[in-house]
Amino acid sequence: MSTYNYVVTAHKPTNVTHSCVGNFTSPQELNLIIAKCTRIEIHLLTAQGLQPMLDVPIYGRIATLELFRPHGETQDLLFIATERYKFCVLQWDPEASEVITRAMGDVSDRIGRPTDNGQIGIIDPDCRLIGLHLYDGLFKVIPFDNKGQLKEAFNIRLEELQVLDIKFLYGCPKPTIVVLYQDNKDARHVKTYEVALKDKDFIEGPWSQNNLDNGADLLIPVPPPLCGVLIIGEETIVYCSASAFKAIPIRPAITRSYGRVDADGSRYLLGDHNGLLHLLVITHEKEKVTGLKIELLGETSIASTISYLDNAFVYVGSSYGDSQLIKLNLQPDAKGSYVEALERYVNLGPIVDFCVVDLERQGQGQVVTCSGAFKDGSLRIVRNGIGINEQASVELQGIKGMWSLRSATDDPFDTFLVVSFISETRILAMNIEDELEETEIEGFSSQVQTLFCHDAVYDQLVQVTSSSVRLVSSTSRELRNEWKAPPGYSVNVATANSTQVLLAAGGGHLVYLEIGDGILTEVKHAQLEYDVSCLDINPIGGNSSYSSLAAVGMWTDISVRIFSLPDLNLVTKEHLGGEIIPRSVLLCTFEGTSYLLCALGDGHLLNFLLNLTTGQLTDRKKVSLGTQPITLRTFSSKNTTHVFAASDRPTVIYSSNKKLLYSNVNLKEVSHMCPFNSAAFPDSLAIAKEGELTIGTIDDIQKLHIRSIPLGEHARRICHQEHSRTFALCSVKYNQSSAEDTEMHIIRLLDDQTFEFISSYSLDQFEYGCSILSCSFSDDNNVYYCVGTAYVMPEENEPSKGRILVFLVEDGKLLLVAEKETKGAVYSLNAFNGKLLAAINQKIQLYKWMLRDDGTRELQSECGHHGHILALYVQTRGDFIVVGDLMKSISLLIYKHEEGAIEERARDYNANWMTAVEILDDDIYLGAENNFNLFTVRKNSEGATDEERSRLEVVGEYHLGEFVNRFRHGSLVMRMPDSDVGQIPTCIFGTVNGVIGGVGGLSHEQWRSYSSEKKTADAKNFLDGDLIESFLDLSRSKMDEVSKAMAVPVEELMKRVEELTRLH
Amino acid sequence: MWKQVRERETGVINPKLFANRVKSNRNSSLQLSNYKEIVSAHRGAINSLQVDLTEGRYLLSAGADASVAVYDVQRATEYVASGLVAKHKNILLVDKQHEHGHKYAVSSAIWYPVDTGLFVTGSYDHFINVWDTNTTQVVMNFKMPGKVYKTAMSTLSTSHMLIAAGTEDVQVRLCDIASGAFSHTLSGHRDGVMAVEWSTSSEWVLLTGGCDGAIRFWDIRRAGCFSVLNQSNTQLGRRSPLLQRVITNKASTSKSSSVGTSSKSRTAQGKHVNGNGSKHSSITKKNFSQEKASAGKRLHPGLISSQDRSTAHYGAVIGLKMTSDGLYLLSAGSDSRLKLWDVESCCNTLVNFDIVRLQTSKTMQLAVSPDSDLVFVPCMSTVKAFSMWSGQTMLSFRSHYDNVNSCWYNEQDQELYTGGGDRQILVWSPFRSNFEHEDEWNSKQQGIALDQDNWSD
Repeated sequence: MSTYNYVVTAHKPTNVTHSCVGNFTSPQELNLIIAKCTRIEIHLLTAQGLQPMLDVPIYGRIATLELFRPHGETQDLLFIATERYKFCVLQWDPEASEVITRAMGDVSDRIGRPTDNGQIGIIDPDCRLIGLHLYDGLFKVIPFDNKGQLKEAFNIRLEELQVLDIKFLYGCPKPTIVVLYQDNKDARHVKTYEVALKDKDFIEGPWSQNNLDNGADLLIPVPPPLCGVLIIGEETIVYCSASAFKAIPIRPAITRSYGRVDADGSRYLLGDHNGLLHLLVITHEKEKVTGLKIELLGETSIASTISYLDNAFVYVGSSYGDSQLIKLNLQPDAKGSYVEALERYVNLGPIVDFCVVDLERQGQGQVVTCSGAFKDGSLRIVRNGIGINEQASVELQGIKGMWSLRSATDDPFDTFLVVSFISETRILAMNIEDELEETEIEGFSSQVQTLFCHDAVYDQLVQVTSSSVRLVSSTSRELRNEWKAPPGYSVNVATANSTQVLLAAGGGHLVYLEIGDGILTEVKHAQLEYDVSCLDINPIGGNSSYSSLAAVGMWTDISVRIFSLPDLNLVTKEHLGGEIIPRSVLLCTFEGTSYLLCALGDGHLLNFLLNLTTGQLTDRKKVSLGTQPITLRTFSSKNTTHVFAASDRPTVIYSSNKKLLYSNVNLKEVSHMCPFNSAAFPDSLAIAKEGELTIGTIDDIQKLHIRSIPLGEHARRICHQEHSRTFALCSVKYNQSSAEDTEMHIIRLLDDQTFEFISSYSLDQFEYGCSILSCSFSDDNNVYYCVGTAYVMPEENEPSKGRILVFLVEDGKLLLVAEKETKGAVYSLNAFNGKLLAAINQKIQLYKWMLRDDGTRELQSECGHHGHILALYVQTRGDFIVVGDLMKSISLLIYKHEEGAIEERARDYNANWMTAVEILDDDIYLGAENNFNLFTVRKNSEGATDEERSRLEVVGEYHLGEFVNRFRHGSLVMRMPDSDVGQIPTCIFGTVNGVIGGVGGLSHEQWRSYSSEKKTADAKNFLDGDLIESFLDLSRSKMDEVSKAMAVPVEELMKRVEELTRLH
Repeated sequence: MWKQVRERETGVINPKLFANRVKSNRNSSLQLSNYKEIVSAHRGAINSLQVDLTEGRYLLSAGADASVAVYDVQRATEYVASGLVAKHKNILLVDKQHEHGHKYAVSSAIWYPVDTGLFVTGSYDHFINVWDTNTTQVVMNFKMPGKVYKTAMSTLSTSHMLIAAGTEDVQVRLCDIASGAFSHTLSGHRDGVMAVEWSTSSEWVLLTGGCDGAIRFWDIRRAGCFSVLNQSNTQLGRRSPLLQRVITNKASTSKSSSVGTSSKSRTAQGKHVNGNGSKHSSITKKNFSQEKASAGKRLHPGLISSQDRSTAHYGAVIGLKMTSDGLYLLSAGSDSRLKLWDVESCCNTLVNFDIVRLQTSKTMQLAVSPDSDLVFVPCMSTVKAFSMWSGQTMLSFRSHYDNVNSCWYNEQDQELYTGGGDRQILVWSPFRSNFEHEDEWNSKQQGIALDQDNWSD
């Protein structure tokens, strides 16, 4: 078996950590720049709102993000520093509409202790230097030269032990920093230093202020003309400068973020830990500060960053809930809030737990996450692929084709649905009651199979059968003209648009007709060497009713050809290779780019870039969509054209960022599809599948669909019970109304369809829900929910008491059937051989489910194993138990039935601080650790010595850059039985930043190299799926380079990669 | 604990901070381990303890009975008390019986910093031996002019393999494993040298503390010592205020133009020698040189001036320990004082460690927790943990029956190992409740009760 693991993100990080506003893309344009952990998004402010411009991945976790403007520049540059001590200065390249790197470098020191309170990166307002506080006791300076270029960095010793914040002061002749720090008696002070660039040292600054609010931890520098600094504490806000000191008390709050409203710095927005937004005003007379005023504006998501955009529009970026675009109104609304939320941007983070379920029982996994934190907690249901919402369906066997027709050319809605069978054609139409009933179009031939139908100009309809082409009036429904195939020839395939008809008869005859008012004219006839297998004349040029190109797929030589119309001259011929004939071709345009799609009989799809003027085909790409022949059709949704590929694995093809994307449709098998936009079913599709005709609407065209269930409380653990069709949650309700924030811990039972609370169980005071499990026990047919708890006493460092509660769901109620007291927090619960395995502080404990004399049941401890620091994460498989310790990596235990004992079999001796573990297979275990790495260890049962057997060998290491909270087996994608990637066992992970990713068993190296405090090693035995999939974004010439280096044909490579992208 | 796990999960505290908090919590609950014991193989006082730097797994100890032993601190040799207490016995022992064993007390035993294939011992028999761990054979030895008090190797070094040795002799010698010869003799101390320590920020900088009470800094690429710590230099963090600096700068620009150029040429040279990658030595020489230069006094590397006579302690310097970030130095003296120095400014920070008495005659091994919060100091028969910044006693470890000579802090498990005159190696570990006893006892009781019921039926 392969030891490589393919790691890929299915859902990018959505946790907004930083944001800033400035003129980045042009001197006139105002941009909002958002950092989402490892990605940067650049938005443009327009009258319509925020318009996304670019999404750039950064190889690193963004620690600081700052816009600045060196002297002489007309627009801003972007400074980014990552947590692994890389920095770069980015600039907008207006010609390529790209971001270019103007400067970059490494600011790491070999020695030095990383700061506890996070990295600080600041830029002097007059652009004389960049200041970085990365290591305790050191302030790193990167000076600018006169031309705005960066010079060599140096360190200045900063004696303050615990630095909380550093900012540059405005309006100082020399660059001056203000430092907020805590001394060893826990008192907080501010101090200023001038940076002497020549001496590479500090000079004592103009002022300092001792003994501030004990909760002070944010500095806001005030720009000229006022200058000075605001010190935000938990109970007071202080304005401080060389000449003035003003303070006001505030309601106790931890201010997490601020946004400056005015350029002169007299008003600020402050966001606190409860999501309340305040306005702070500095009142002043000319340049003299007279006081401070603070006013509550309203409630938003808990803000991690606030950016004031313009005209009272504010962007609120959040780590714990959805980010928002809000408007500040002049007048309060009914609830007294000045805040109006205009838009919400989905954020899945922090995903603290999730489960993979198949609620619709279609074989397709859905992920239900516990997302958000505190008051912004929610459940999110994440589903891959595009769903069809069924509106109506009829049982109809043997459909061979479907087309929708209008009753008049200018009618916005479709009226008729033509359904073709092997020996008849039926016509369905909407009646007055908006029901679909069978009707007739007299001019149509209904005794034969229809090959093609289309609306035509002059209120006409076209029907193509094997013997003739009929032109019918859509108003009178009478035949107006007919073109008959020459005797002895029957039409095999045909296509049409509103003015043209192209058909092919046996023996390679290709006939081109044009539609006039009541007349069909045979314009051209061509004789080809082989039979035609498929045709298309979908108009994609400037004229929406006339195509100047025709695509033709051929039997025998397996080629696709482009002919010019009306003269039927061969423009291009492209051999497809292989032995599978093309079954469907389609000319189409996505985002202004023309493509030719060609589907083969074996479920493969080829796409080419089509040059509309020359008819040349370039950039051939091949993907596998299914295993059965594919029929291609266009349809539109939300004014954009997409392509539906009907096959055993129906797929929607769409384009995003000029890249074709393939998204699964959540249906088993579709033989035909046509858009059916009727008045009763607007924007619907008619779908023929398995003896059934369905009319339904389609979801938004995107890969992942996320549904939000806001809870108003923080769900911490989730599990699903198939038996009772319920979810159970461990959740925390925060009570902010009282003076002190209190928490209430509750077990909630939810219906798995409606997601409504149907039952609750409140835990005791100080009792926290730590783990939850749905399981059954041996000798008992019931399925139970088991909940592990801990009593967290304020005075205790580690919980010394907890409980295991066993619930039964009866009539939608949680019924407590047993409880067992434990000597510590129950960090994890697992079903284990019909028993219950609990991780309690440092111990692994196995409980039996015993029947008492009175018929009730109880948990009875059977055996245990100790020797962990804290057994936080446990997974089991058979008799094996894999434990992820707080700080001692992974160990493998085995349960011995005969002795009834748990013994340690092997362990990894590395000092990894674990955050999640999972068992990939019998021998390989996956772990995630504190420094954002993934690693795999292997059980070494064939080791020669005891020593070797007792050691778990590290076989894979990978820097994910994400904090993984949970692994679960499962997949977001429907299983394909006969695709080779379908066999890979996969595992999903959820992270703090809202990333959902997958791990499958299968130089940029610097970023992915395994990094921890002690060592940095190259990544091994993990494949970076995101990198591999970015191959598809490369230009063709770059792809050729890659394929040459790999000695694999480009097409094969592309096919492989496309297959991998369908893993998630 | 559960609260912090929860905060880490939601991203309220970053994982690094989480780990640091857990570690400092654990440090504050250090006590004599109730689940781990090291069975000392020595029949004399224990002089030195060190866990290897690569795996954090093998503890090397040296005893006054001329023996050296290695213990595996991760994997126990046996479990006692129904599996609750892990005993770690030595997996390697070299004593007088060994053909190449030392004759007298081994004062210092250190691991080769790169791997566990070699270790180095220094002994009162005047020899420094380099051992192959796997074969337990001496692969090299160095004959020193007197008793060896202390040996040290740089943990940062990528370009040299030098053992710095402090002996009875006034000269500090550097023994090169690559060539088997002395590569440097550093002269400056006026008495024997009991403490040697390599800088944790530059592989070229060596710190030595002598019985003459001086602590000297050496850059081994240059002749002579470049700094001597002065206990009366106490103005930490005092930057010259705005005005004064401007004036001195103005004054010195005209006056010291010639000096400036010469010092510049020297730093340029220094950079050239540095070659690639060691520009970040936070012990920047520029500060010493430049500040002195602006004071108008040109420093010779040999430091002939009065500064050369300055002392760090009244009495011998018996222990040195640099913090892992290279910013601070701790020194212990036979004057029963522990001093914390800011390395860059060479300032005595005047932190008052409440020490009553230190042993005076022997080298002592200090330990510092990696977050530089706690310093572990052998104070006669107890070991005390002081807060680095306030000097307050945070913890006291009393269990040794005789003077403690050495402590080693095991970063990986947050454990402290101490060894002393009572021949014991004691393990101090974070508190862990052994409630399994009660648990099992309870279940047994229940079992008996059930049995009885059965019988009575």
